[in-house]
Amino acid sequence: MRRVSLVAALSALCLCAQDVPLDSPNAVKINLKADSPVALLSASMGESRATARGAALMLDLHMALSLRNTTPNRIRGVVLRVVSQEVAVGGKASVSVPSLNVGPGEAFPIRIDLQLMRPTQQAAGGPLVEVDLDGVLFQDFSFYGPDRLNSQRSLTAWEMEAQRDRDHFKKILAQYGPEGLRQEMLTSLARQAERPQLDVRLVRRRAVSGVAVSSEHTAQFAFLKFPDSPVEPLEGWAELSGNEAHAPRVQVRNNSSKTVKYVELAWLVSDEKGQQYVAASLPASKPDLYLPPGQTARVLQDSELHFTRNGEPVNIRQMAGFVSQVEFADGKVWVPNRQNLESNALLRVLNPSPEEQRLSDLYRKKGLQALQEELRKF
Amino acid sequence: MKHPSQATLALHAGGDLGPFARWRVDRHLTDCDQCREEVAKYGDLREVLPELGEMPEVAWSRLSAEMQANIRLGLAAGECVRAGEAPSRWSLFTGARAAVALASVVALLVTGLMIERPMPRPNWRNEGIVVQRVPNGIQVREGGQALQLMNPSAPHQQVTYSVGAQGSLRARFVDQETGNVTFNTVYVEE
Repeated sequence: MRRVSLVAALSALCLCAQDVPLDSPNAVKINLKADSPVALLSASMGESRATARGAALMLDLHMALSLRNTTPNRIRGVVLRVVSQEVAVGGKASVSVPSLNVGPGEAFPIRIDLQLMRPTQQAAGGPLVEVDLDGVLFQDFSFYGPDRLNSQRSLTAWEMEAQRDRDHFKKILAQYGPEGLRQEMLTSLARQAERPQLDVRLVRRRAVSGVAVSSEHTAQFAFLKFPDSPVEPLEGWAELSGNEAHAPRVQVRNNSSKTVKYVELAWLVSDEKGQQYVAASLPASKPDLYLPPGQTARVLQDSELHFTRNGEPVNIRQMAGFVSQVEFADGKVWVPNRQNLESNALLRVLNPSPEEQRLSDLYRKKGLQALQEELRKF
Repeated sequence: MKHPSQATLALHAGGDLGPFARWRVDRHLTDCDQCREEVAKYGDLREVLPELGEMPEVAWSRLSAEMQANIRLGLAAGECVRAGEAPSRWSLFTGARAAVALASVVALLVTGLMIERPMPRPNWRNEGIVVQRVPNGIQVREGGQALQLMNPSAPHQQVTYSVGAQGSLRARFVDQETGNVTFNTVYVEE
């Protein structure tokens, strides 16, 4: 009955070309299983509204969730999956919060700000949006969740980077004192402010579209190789045409003694002036990759990337890449160490780790004392 | 600051204003984030909703007659409460009432032009599924449907975006309220 009233309200909205608040609990359904390690304390819909604009209906959802850790273990990261079946293309999104430090019984907030656009003719049935838990990572690297979005791998890699960067800042503090830590934070903030960023638009064409993608030339990757990397990139190419790149493919070899089940490369591009940018991450195409020691595999994607900066096309001249993440069959994850990134001047180009971003933001807002106290918590 | 009307912003987004009006709105937009955002939203709508150019048949003559009747009814009602004053033949069409009537007609014309004007059809039907940045967020869209995750609590300069070549786009920012790093991700799913 409530669903019917929601449909009726949205239909009336379409006819009246006005906007209405969306406060019905049936607009959003939050699914947490009985054995979930987090419990929902509250869910506020705030200023959520549905607005008719011409022939489109725009749904503006602002959710503030409060969750509580119901386990005896500390939570390090959470991923919520957000699905709107009304929208084509699967209508799938996620909100991930890594670098958490939530103790047993403690509560933490997660915000979800979502907009859905669809033609007004499309009928609504059931909840507009469903939110469910895709994964929770704990301090001991144990994991809970259906992991439909590969959250375990992402959260584990972010936590590995977090430990790496916290150790780095603790070493700086121990070696050079608070003033050394301050300098390191200022350097990090300056790097983040100056880091060049491209606008990348990704297009995945339907197989039946029949649209040919023009190709100017095939360009070869230049690889940066880290001595401790378990996987080595051997050779790779992509098709370049002006500010477009598509069909990247890279051959990699497992140099470790363990079986690898996931490889991800960072893809860097340079423009005509030699300015380098991060273009994309390039994951192994097969979800069921199985790469025993000494074997090779091909990383291949069928996407088309368009590069712009400040609204202007950026023509690509050169490409580079390096292995940025490896997951072994036993669930362990490898990420490059800080020395590898520093020695190859990659810190200037790459995004900082989520933890470095959080700590530098904490320093910027609350100062050196707060940062030192935060580092002591880990 | 006086803001241009929604109709003016919509016309501006579509490049349909005259040179002088466009110059005035451009000047205003350089200093007004709110209106700039509105123009961007109208632009997004034009991009994702080419159906705007395919409105079903509307009975304009009936609509116009109904509006005129409503205006006359309103004016007549006004006259009823003004006791003891004999209306002259032209008094109904002077002063504020005439301005209201004129404004109504102009609004009707502008709306009609906006809806009726044929728009070039973008080739999104052949474009496939697209993930991209939009003002204050990231979007996955196909045709006239889109799903966006917004990051309203983070200053634009402090949001970093990363693309996964398998078909995902991430926006990363520090939530200003919680201090937590948050990743919003949208996915291509065929």
